[in-house]
Amino acid sequence: METLKTQQKSLESFFGIGQHTSARLLGRFHIHPTAKVGDLANKQVLDLTAALSGMKIENDLRRQVLDDIKRLRDTGTYRGRRHAVGLPVRGQNTRSQIKTAVKLNRVDRRL
Amino acid sequence: MFPTRTLLARSVWKGPNIVPLPLPRTIPPPPGTPAIKTQARSTTILPNFVGLRFAVHNGKIYQETLITEEMVGRKLGEFVPYV
Repeated sequence: METLKTQQKSLESFFGIGQHTSARLLGRFHIHPTAKVGDLANKQVLDLTAALSGMKIENDLRRQVLDDIKRLRDTGTYRGRRHAVGLPVRGQNTRSQIKTAVKLNRVDRRL
Repeated sequence: MFPTRTLLARSVWKGPNIVPLPLPRTIPPPPGTPAIKTQARSTTILPNFVGLRFAVHNGKIYQETLITEEMVGRKLGEFVPYV
């Protein structure tokens, strides 16, 4: 973690932690959102690390998302088929404006 | 407060869409039993459907599917694409 960044920003650099979760974490350990990483007490850092290690973030979360898509595909559901052909999954119209789905919806989705 | 918000689905008070189907009396059904013919694609697959064969209408023909453990909780029509 960079020393100059605020603690909130550096928490949000993890995949799976956004504004909401980082604010909750900071509140739990009584850290001000504008506090820099270098300013933290040793105990606070340890607390945060312990909390983070109990959460499902980064590669675990990525694998979970991919597994969910793969399970839909293997079961043969409609949603899995839509992922495989790269079309909108949740019943959107496909006459126009499906660029995002074409870009993102794959069985081996890039996260 | 909003139980359906998280499910993003059907209202809870309705319960799953259970359609009266001619299910076999003995489980597993004896070999040679014809598949259960139905047009009710929105039927929720219940745990007691596992191992049965359904002939689900896809708009043109009745396509056969074998229900497996993973399909429970989904709909019959999800596994039979329409033509």
